[in-house]
Amino acid sequence: MSKFSINNLECIRQNNILFKGLNLSMEDGGLLQINGANGSGKSSLLQICAGLIQITTGEVLWNNININQRRYEFQNNILYIGHTNAIKATLTVEENMTIIHSLTGSKSKINYSTILKKIGMSGMNKIFPYNMSAGQKRRLGLTRLFMTKSKLWFLDEPFNALDKEGKKIIENLIINHCAKGGITIFTTHQKMEIDGYPLQSIHLRNNNV
Amino acid sequence: MYKWIHQFGSPKYFYDISLHLSKWVTIVCIVCFIGGLYGGLVLAPADYQQGDSFRIIYVHVPAAWMSLFIYVILATSGAISLIWHIKITDIIARVSAPIGASFTFLALSTGAIWGKPMWGTYWVWDARLTSELILLFLYLGYIALQSAFDDKRIAARAGAILALIGIINIPIIHYSVEWWSTLHQGPTITKLDKPSIHLTMLIPLILMVIAFKTFYIAIALIKTRSEILKYECNSSWVKKILGN
Amino acid sequence: MSEYINIFNVILKRDLMLAFRDKTDFINSLIFFIIVITLFPLTFGTKSTIVNEIIPGMIWISALLATCLSLETIFRSDFEDGSIEQLTLSRYPLTLLVSAKIFAHWITFGMPLIIISLLMGILLSLSNEIIIALFITLILGTPILSLLGSVMVALTIGLRGGMLLNLLILPLSMPVLIFSTVAIQNAALNQSIIAETYFLAGILVLAITLAPLATATALRIRLS
Repeated sequence: MSKFSINNLECIRQNNILFKGLNLSMEDGGLLQINGANGSGKSSLLQICAGLIQITTGEVLWNNININQRRYEFQNNILYIGHTNAIKATLTVEENMTIIHSLTGSKSKINYSTILKKIGMSGMNKIFPYNMSAGQKRRLGLTRLFMTKSKLWFLDEPFNALDKEGKKIIENLIINHCAKGGITIFTTHQKMEIDGYPLQSIHLRNNNV
Repeated sequence: MYKWIHQFGSPKYFYDISLHLSKWVTIVCIVCFIGGLYGGLVLAPADYQQGDSFRIIYVHVPAAWMSLFIYVILATSGAISLIWHIKITDIIARVSAPIGASFTFLALSTGAIWGKPMWGTYWVWDARLTSELILLFLYLGYIALQSAFDDKRIAARAGAILALIGIINIPIIHYSVEWWSTLHQGPTITKLDKPSIHLTMLIPLILMVIAFKTFYIAIALIKTRSEILKYECNSSWVKKILGN
Repeated sequence: MSEYINIFNVILKRDLMLAFRDKTDFINSLIFFIIVITLFPLTFGTKSTIVNEIIPGMIWISALLATCLSLETIFRSDFEDGSIEQLTLSRYPLTLLVSAKIFAHWITFGMPLIIISLLMGILLSLSNEIIIALFITLILGTPILSLLGSVMVALTIGLRGGMLLNLLILPLSMPVLIFSTVAIQNAALNQSIIAETYFLAGILVLAITLAPLATATALRIRLS
C-alpha cells in the first residue's frame, strides 16, 4: 500500500505566490485532477510533486519519506509526462519507443506493433515525427503509459491535442491503471468528469486554492 | 550552535543586526585606512632599490589579497547555498561579486602601474598575472550569469556551481610564483615564517589589509541589507518597513 | 551494474544517431575549424614566417573555438523537446546519463577535430615531434573542453544572449590552452613534454570525475 502526500506546500514563481498551505494525500487507486486557469500554477504543482522543482516551504512525501531523501527510490516509481512530448523528431517511431523502453528499466522485449495498435497508430513504425500531426506526436509521447511499470503517474494536460478517440483511449488507460492500484494525478484546463471512476479534484484559482 | 546558524541565516535577523554592525566596521575601516596610509606614505622609509615607487604596494597587495579572499567567500557561500539552502548566502554571494571584480581590476591596474618603473613593462604574460586576469574573467562571467536569470534563487545556485568550478584558480594564483619562475616577486609574507620585509613597512601593510577587509565587510553589509528587501518583498515585515 | 552500462550505451547510441542523422552541426563545426585556421595566414601575409612558427598554436585556438561553438548541441534539443525532464526523472542517475551525452559530444566533435588537426599538421609540414605533441595535447585537451563545457552549457542553455556561454567557457579553458601550447613549444625545442602531459592528464581525470556531477546538478537547478 503506497501513499503519496503533500504537506503545507507553498509555491512562489516570479515573486508571485501561486498557492500556500496546500495539503494532499493519495493512496492506491487514487485519481486526482488539478484544474485551473492558465497561470494558476497547475504545471508548477505537478512539477513540484514529481520533484523537478525544489520548494522551500512544505514537503512532498512518498510513503512518508521526503522525496529528496530517497530520490532514486521515488523516481523508480514515477512516470511524468509534461506538456512537451519528449520525442526526437529525427528518430523513427520505433527508435523513439526503444529509448523510452530502455529508460523504464524493463527487461522484457518490446512489441512495437501491439502498443501502436493500442494507441491508434498502427503501421507507423518507421515514420518520422516531423511528418506527423500534433495529435500523432502527442500519442507517441503517450506510448510511455503503455511501457511503464511505475505506480505513480503525473500527467500534465494529457488530453491536449487529442481527438475524441484518443481521449477515450487515454481515459481508459488511466482508469485501468488506478483500478489496478496505481495513483494518477493529472492537470486539465476545465473540470472533467470520468465515467465509472471516483475522481478527486483540486481547483487552483489565482492567489488561492 | 545550529540554532545560532539558522538565526543568522534568517534574513530578518540579518537585516536587524547589520546596520549596527556596519557602523562599527566602518569606524574600524576608517581608522585603519588613516593609519595605514600615513604609515605607508609618510612614515615608512623609501626602499633602497625602488625609491618611493614601491609605496603602491600599500594598495596593490591588499587589493590582490581581497580579490582572492572574496572569491573564496563567493565559492563558500555558493557551497553552503547548494548544500543547506540558506537564503542569506545567496545574497552575500550576489553582492560580493562586483566588489571582488573591482578589487581584481584594482590589483591588475596598480600592478601594471608598478610594473612600468620596476620591470620596464606594463604587462607580461607570466603565470601570476595571467591567472589573476582569468580570475577577473571568472568574476565578470559570474556577474553575467547572475544577471541572465530572472529568478534570483536559480541565479544564485547556478552562480554557485560556476564559482565552485573556478575555485581551482585560487591555488594556482597563490602558488604560481613558487611553481613557475616568473617576473613577479616571490612570497614575502607567510604565516609561519619570519617575514622578509622590514617591520616599518610591514605594519602599514597589515593596517591596509585590515582596512580593505573591513571596507569590503561594511559595503557588503549595506548592499546585503538592500538586497534582502528585494528578496523578501512579499513578506510582512518588509511591507511594514516600506510602509505599504 | 550491467543495467547501468546498458543505459549508458543506449543514451550514447541515441546521441550519436541524432548527431549523424542531421549532419549539419558536425560538418559546420569542421568547416568553421578549417576557416579559422585559414584566417591566420590571411592576416599575417602569405610570405611571412610568423605563420610557420605559430601553426600549432593556431590549430589549438581554432579547435578551442570550434568546440565552444559546438557545445550547445549537447543539451539544446533535449531542452527544447522536453527529453531533459525524462532523463532527470528516470530511475537512472542523471550523472550517468549526462556522461553518456558528453562522451557522444566528444566523439562527434572532438575526435574529428583531432583527426583533421593531424592532417593539417602533416599538410603544413610540421616536424614529427610537434605533431606528436599536438596529438597528445589534443587528445587530452578536447575531452576536458567537452566536460567543462557541458557544465557551462547546462548552466546557460536557453538563456537569452548567446555570448554568455562563450564568456564562461573561454576563461576556464585557458589553463588547458596554456599547458598545451607550452608542451608544443617544448616539443619544438626537442625537450620533454612529460610535465605538461601529466598536468593535462590530471585535469582530465579531475574533469571526468567531477564534471558530470556538476552538470547534473546544474540541470536540476535549471529545471527548478
